[in-house]
Amino acid sequence: MELSLTEAQASFRDDVVTFLSESLPEDIKETQKSGGHLTKDQHQRWHKILGDKGWSTPLWPKEHGGTGWSPVEYAIWDEECYRMGAPRVLPFSVSMLGPVLINFGNDEQRERFLPGIRSGEDWWAQGFSEPGAGSDLASLKTMAVRDGDHYIVNGQKTWTTLGQHGDWIFCLVRTDASAAKPQTGISFILIDMRSPGVEVRPIITLDGSHEVNEVWFTDVKVPAENLVGQENMGWTYAKFLLQNERIGIAGIGQSKEQLVSLKRLAAAEKKNGKPLVEDGSFRSKLSEVEIELRALDLTNKRMLVETERGMDPGPVSSMLKIRGSEVAQRLYELKMEASGLYALPFQPEAGDPGWNDELAGTLAQARSAPHYLNTRKISIFGGSNEIQRGIISKMMLGF
Amino acid sequence: MNFDYSEEQKMLVQSLERTLAKSYDFETYRGQLAEKASHDPALWASLAELGIMAMPLPEAAGGFDGDHTDIALISTELGRRLVPEPYVSNVVVAAYILNAVGGDSAADDLAAIGVGEKRFAAAFYEPGERHNPLAMNTKAEKSGDGWTLNGHKAVVLGADTAGAFIVSADAGGATLFLVPADADGVTVRTYQLLDGRGAADIIFDNVTLDASALLGEAGSAEDIILAAVDRGAAALVADSLGAIEEVIEMTKDYLRTRTQFGRPIGSFQVLAHRMVDLLIDYEQAKSMSMEASVEATNDDSAARKKAISAAKAKVGAVSRKFGKDSIQMHGGIGMTDEYALGAYVKRLLVNETLFGDTDYHLERFGAL
Repeated sequence: MELSLTEAQASFRDDVVTFLSESLPEDIKETQKSGGHLTKDQHQRWHKILGDKGWSTPLWPKEHGGTGWSPVEYAIWDEECYRMGAPRVLPFSVSMLGPVLINFGNDEQRERFLPGIRSGEDWWAQGFSEPGAGSDLASLKTMAVRDGDHYIVNGQKTWTTLGQHGDWIFCLVRTDASAAKPQTGISFILIDMRSPGVEVRPIITLDGSHEVNEVWFTDVKVPAENLVGQENMGWTYAKFLLQNERIGIAGIGQSKEQLVSLKRLAAAEKKNGKPLVEDGSFRSKLSEVEIELRALDLTNKRMLVETERGMDPGPVSSMLKIRGSEVAQRLYELKMEASGLYALPFQPEAGDPGWNDELAGTLAQARSAPHYLNTRKISIFGGSNEIQRGIISKMMLGF
Repeated sequence: MNFDYSEEQKMLVQSLERTLAKSYDFETYRGQLAEKASHDPALWASLAELGIMAMPLPEAAGGFDGDHTDIALISTELGRRLVPEPYVSNVVVAAYILNAVGGDSAADDLAAIGVGEKRFAAAFYEPGERHNPLAMNTKAEKSGDGWTLNGHKAVVLGADTAGAFIVSADAGGATLFLVPADADGVTVRTYQLLDGRGAADIIFDNVTLDASALLGEAGSAEDIILAAVDRGAAALVADSLGAIEEVIEMTKDYLRTRTQFGRPIGSFQVLAHRMVDLLIDYEQAKSMSMEASVEATNDDSAARKKAISAAKAKVGAVSRKFGKDSIQMHGGIGMTDEYALGAYVKRLLVNETLFGDTDYHLERFGAL
């Protein structure tokens, strides 16, 4: 048993640190470290820098632009990015769509779309959830009807993250309304969001931010060549896509960074004239979450090492998703508690580019409650924690 | 980075499993409890024969120079089988101290532990001092060439079957003495703990000790005591892991087979999800136990303390949850003495509380 990094892993980490310290633009680092909202330009500039380096799609097969990193190396990369304030590339194009195109798309689609994903030039959104199809995703109703060499799409998607910037959206649509099972009538299709009939409407979430959207489709004409794989096989591709997120699923890098900033905040706050971090009751909450994260980090590494040896992590990835989201939420919750009264002034855009109001409290305090509220989402998206528990109990109890 | 045990370690565990499967089942355990015995000389001898006592000892003492991952694997099996034998108090805690203080007589005693011939118990904790291993109300005063010892040690694990005690006392700072159990002025009040393991309160009333009773140097035992307790804590954490694994098997089995309202109760989501949360906690506890077994012997004492406290606090909290939830999910049968679940719940409670409880370690973790 050897719990520290191997020499090769340590030297990989050094390479990552060198690259990040040389290449990460100061303004992006600043926004990321302080927990602000990144602009579209910031996302795309960083994505392009990674693309030029050949590091924007590390987990793809090498012939399509992957780096050949092992799962442990990828986890090191993920963690160092958070530690050094580098944003993570959005998952929609790189982690979700890319692998589907590589495995199930045709050569034309790969030639047409993979370069724009690697460079970040094309902004992709995900069109899965609908108002009536959340955890029960297969009950989705958006219809695509074949009409000559086109599909005509009608319906509505929702919770579309950063869809306001989207050039393209990959969607699950119903192509066979009479299929025996809801899962068997679904197709996976790529829609240009600049087509007539596509309308994006903002959803403002309880933290005051505009992150998610509704996307409406009214008689949208989509060329038949934009169908990925076979018609009515979309559910298979979607399941493949959702399994592809295992490696970063526990959010270790992000939570470690949040722990550091929580401690910083609790050192600056005072209680009875002493730093809050020295207060017994606060410190015991802090220690509990720190220990949970320490355990999670090791549990995650155990899974990565097994994955590296080609073993199926089975229910462990769902476990990591559940506990990882709980730890992350707890950290944000404690940051809000640590902020005290100055968690209360509602300044959702505080510190973002273009915001010029006078700040009440510190920036960390101002962002603490919005972050707490915003991160309620992480136990809901990507298969809610209840869905994950269902997956685990099916595997381990048979129910 | 790897989380593997060596082939030798796997073989050792297999032979321990085989021995226990042959000679120690739940009925044996119940029988031993009925007779108020925490120790069976025949079982102890067969465990010594397997080499699990000699495993962590230095080669000079006839040992195999094993590390704490060996101890963790052995402890996990002992916990899984509810074995009450004083393994941790002797092979982990006493052996570490005897080796650390050195000297000829300590070397002989170490060798005797390795073959299962002598038993010791380390007495640190005191009434009214809760989980402080550096409690110093026990005093040793110089008298002539030797010492006079007065004090009271609380809930000393393994003291019911030990021939001698390793006692911490204030002699111008933390100091360790080796005190024969039958010395004049020593009163040993033995009892069994909740789960059947043996312990005792020990009272020292003007006990006269030779100069040779001093272990190491007077006033300098603090680091040794803390390191010994941490090793004991790491072993108990591993012991709990074995008990938890057994509780998981029993509870999963019960959820699958017990039917109410015409269906297995595990098919009710409220129970299935509760079980899933326990399974996640188990994985977390396992990770911490592994880390504790690696860090227990770390020379960097701050790193050691941090890892041990994290593990003891985490596994302690998880153990409590397992105890409560597994009984609840079993319903009435979980309340009975003849069903093994309760024995595991009690084993977990004892492990959770000895060598620093969850609060103690949470506090120490936060202060580091």
